[in-house]
Amino acid sequence: MLLLGLDTATRRVGVVLANEQGMLGRVELGGTADTAPPRHAETLAPAIAWCCERCGVELTQLSAVAVGIGPGMFTGLRVGVTTAKVLAQSLRVPVIPIPSLDLLAYPLRYARRLVVATIDARRNELYWAIYLQVPGGVQRVSEYEIGTPDDLVAELEARGEDALLCGDGSLRFTDAFEPLGGRVELAGPAHASPSLSALAELARARYEREDFCAPSEVLPMYLRQSDAEIAWNRKGM
Amino acid sequence: MLGIETSCDETAAAVVDDGRQVRSSVVASQADLHARYGGVVPEVASRAHVELICDVIEQALVEAGSSLGELDAVAAVRGPGLAGALLVGVSAAKAISLASRLPYVGVHHHEAHLYAAMIEDPQLEPPLVTLVVSGGHTLLIAMEDHGRYRVLGETVDDAAGEAFDKVARFLGLGYPGGPEIDRLAREGDPEAIRFPRPMRAEGHDFSFSGLKTAVVQYVRAHPDTDVADVAASFQAAIVDVLVEKLLGAARETGIGTVVAGGGVAANSVLRERLLDLAVAGDVRVVLPSIALCTDNAAMVASVAAYRLAADGPTPLEAPVVPNLRLV
Ligand SMILES: [Zn+2]
Repeated sequence: MLLLGLDTATRRVGVVLANEQGMLGRVELGGTADTAPPRHAETLAPAIAWCCERCGVELTQLSAVAVGIGPGMFTGLRVGVTTAKVLAQSLRVPVIPIPSLDLLAYPLRYARRLVVATIDARRNELYWAIYLQVPGGVQRVSEYEIGTPDDLVAELEARGEDALLCGDGSLRFTDAFEPLGGRVELAGPAHASPSLSALAELARARYEREDFCAPSEVLPMYLRQSDAEIAWNRKGM
Repeated sequence: MLGIETSCDETAAAVVDDGRQVRSSVVASQADLHARYGGVVPEVASRAHVELICDVIEQALVEAGSSLGELDAVAAVRGPGLAGALLVGVSAAKAISLASRLPYVGVHHHEAHLYAAMIEDPQLEPPLVTLVVSGGHTLLIAMEDHGRYRVLGETVDDAAGEAFDKVARFLGLGYPGGPEIDRLAREGDPEAIRFPRPMRAEGHDFSFSGLKTAVVQYVRAHPDTDVADVAASFQAAIVDVLVEKLLGAARETGIGTVVAGGGVAANSVLRERLLDLAVAGDVRVVLPSIALCTDNAAMVASVAAYRLAADGPTPLEAPVVPNLRLV
């Protein structure tokens, strides 16, 4: 078994190769520092080629392509999801779509409190989902949400439990979580981007269960409508 | 060559042999999705491309009776166009390039429109004068040789197709406006109203916003006027300008063959006028079929064959360029 994983939901472009024993290698380009515009369309294909070459594998050996489907940066998601589905279709292998918020939460499965995965949604909003520890992983206990930092603070106040926040969404709005005091901790830059080792592990389990999709069915998780659709729906038509 | 086009609101893929022989050409139009907004919405277009891209590519290969293994290269339009839309086609082409170890060729959308005429007439060779007219572009280009272009003129404000869309919306017609006006104009008198022929005599550039304003002012001043007459007279004015500019460019460059491309080149009156020119013997006219005029991927695969032979493959690092220039 050989899996290729891609995640481009944030400014970070991530590529990972794994087999049944574990990770063969990974490439991460770009990060939380927004010094330059993200370049997903330029960097993803060369990063895949480089990663395969360095790991000594051919794409024709792949068993499946896993992809982080967001929510996140729309242009990044379109590059990652299109690349994953067309690669898979060309190679006649399935796609394993995994929400990028799950990839943020999974590495924090040993934390003994709520894990809140967040991704920056721009326009003073963030995407989030809330997880609880279960044997061998985490279980999501909320919907995949979009809202302002204040919406998330209100949600956490209502739950009244200790929480560990991760992802670039929480790092962007650190001040917003101060009212929650010591009940909330931020996981820091090491947990800013969806984890590629989580992508490899979760994809392997899904592949073994044959829990995957035909390439043409895979779509990004946007959570937010386009402005035109929002305006249209407001007209009440 | 497999070509992919996603620069605006059509998701298209095609297989073309030797730059001229179309084995398949699949176009999934999103016009219905954008109709209620009265124009192309970039975010809606980008999302639809991601949904359609796999099926469109698969269908193009099936209809061509070919597999990825038989291809020599894969091409996509890398500009100009909508950024979010372009990167779907480019990402798809790069993915196929990786999976099948094929060269990737990134091409220019307007250059692709020129090659629609090469498909229509497989013997056609430059020099040519080309009119590329659509909702996004209005250009007069001298093609001196493959890969050698001079932009003679372009619009200083609205594209011709945009003028059709705006006037159609003002007249309460549907979207896209070009076909709606074309249809309604058949019931009207093109000489009923004398609209201005903007910038008819000056240079090779175009301007259509004044014409659009003239239509609006006329209809406001004459609310009882027959809408079909307005459509026919507006269309006659635009076609006059396009034909005259194209002829002027042919005269000035001394180039005897003219071609047209782009969605507006599907307009029935423009096509008639261009064919009349050919019959009169003024110039040689090559008019691609309507399916080759509107955005399609056959023209992308066609131009890519020439670009690959002349320049070699495009690196996978190459970006999409929403405002890519031809020269
Ligand atoms: Zn076009």
